[in-house]
Amino acid sequence: MKYRNGTVRATGYVTILVKGTAPELFFQKCASEGIMVWDVKKLDKDACEGKIKLSDIQKMKQIRRKTIYKVSFTGRNGYPFLMKRFFRKKPLVIGLMISFLFFLFLSNIIWEVKITGVPRDIEEKIDKQLSSYGVHPGAWLFSIDTPTEIQQRLINDIPELLWAGVDQKGTTFYLEGVEKIIVQEADPEQPRNLVASKKGVITKMYVSKGTPMVKVNDYVEPGDILVSGVLGNTDESEDEDENNKRIEPIAAEAEVTANTWYEVSLTVPLQYNYERLTGNSKKKFFLKTGAFQFPIWGFKDPPYQDVHRDIKENKINFLKWELPVSVIETVLSEKEYIQAERSKEEAIKAGMEQAVIQLKHELGPDAEILSEKVLHETIERGKVNLNIYVSVEENIVKQEPLNQGD
Amino acid sequence: MANWQQRLRSLLIEQFSLPSDVILEMPRITIIGHIHIYIENHQGLATYSDNELKLKINKGYVQIKGSSFVLKMMLPKEILLEGTISEVKFLMN
Repeated sequence: MKYRNGTVRATGYVTILVKGTAPELFFQKCASEGIMVWDVKKLDKDACEGKIKLSDIQKMKQIRRKTIYKVSFTGRNGYPFLMKRFFRKKPLVIGLMISFLFFLFLSNIIWEVKITGVPRDIEEKIDKQLSSYGVHPGAWLFSIDTPTEIQQRLINDIPELLWAGVDQKGTTFYLEGVEKIIVQEADPEQPRNLVASKKGVITKMYVSKGTPMVKVNDYVEPGDILVSGVLGNTDESEDEDENNKRIEPIAAEAEVTANTWYEVSLTVPLQYNYERLTGNSKKKFFLKTGAFQFPIWGFKDPPYQDVHRDIKENKINFLKWELPVSVIETVLSEKEYIQAERSKEEAIKAGMEQAVIQLKHELGPDAEILSEKVLHETIERGKVNLNIYVSVEENIVKQEPLNQGD
Repeated sequence: MANWQQRLRSLLIEQFSLPSDVILEMPRITIIGHIHIYIENHQGLATYSDNELKLKINKGYVQIKGSSFVLKMMLPKEILLEGTISEVKFLMN
């Protein structure tokens, strides 16, 4: 009896109603032909109901043909019918599909962006920058770059950041930042002088601790003491203090901005090659499982001569799991190679721009470029050699510990 | 003829302890209380209704009476009847 419930339910069974005189004899016939019959009930004098397997219907019909009984189906049970009935309920099926897709959809958007390791103000800055990249709660995971790309862009765009680790775990983006801190070389407790690190003309001074040794508009050479850690180190006070008491030297603290200058040598070719995207592009989508890629959108190859391919792979998540399926988006952009020539003026302009960018990169975000000037230019073998003079306003303070013993 | 066959059969049953229902082609009827009756080795259904089941056996019929009968299972030579059984009667011809 037990086996019947299991297997019969899986393969399906039907309830048949037999009408005619002595309908139970029909079931007897079926049974002796090897058809399994169960739950036979006599409903009336000439009506009898019983159950047979779905796979036995054909056999039963053959037996019926030789008799005069009327057979009708009154019930359909089991898995095949259940499935049929289930699929007939379109709203239910559609609802289930939608809920599954909804799950899939929700598993593939960013729910949270967590930024750790940086102070509040930078955190906000990073948050803003991330939002501009499209990384914010509610963003579609497919539309954003890979963590490594985001990492690189963040470091480039936020100068305060020394390092950023971007990690994506499911629907959460973890971002760990390390702030670029200008490390105080000398211990703040330790007495020190502030000296010039570069030659320049001082434009601004703000001394919070220590005795200023220079004035605004003074010219300083590298190594010149800007702010002394020894208090009262002027000519008059020195005599007085000598017999009174020696004031302990302190750690000088100041901000000294000076006008410095740099000479940058550059070579700019007059003739140059570059690649350019024409703006024509086509997107192709693939569904990838393992090594197999199945195109789902964009089947034809565009008629471009030179193609730049941008391949982006997006894993599909379901709840916390990563499905072994990923969507690959390939952008085929038409590119062309251009050989261009520029005039001497254009070359100089490009060179100047390049020099400024280069210098800014070297000096950091605090330096401000005031002016740039071409000192010297020569044309040689299709190239322009430039000497550019750049005037910069920057902090020139360097700490130098005071040795108390000397 | 029939006599020595009969004797041989009872000899086989006694000497080799073979089940009598197989040798004698008689039905084996198992009754569980008054609710189930399981008949093996019958030779076909004669009548069946809500309160009566008559099965052909080797020599005659077995008649089961009661109420609210349902044939729980029907296989070529077996029947399981469920219901309230009040009597089991052998009708020999």
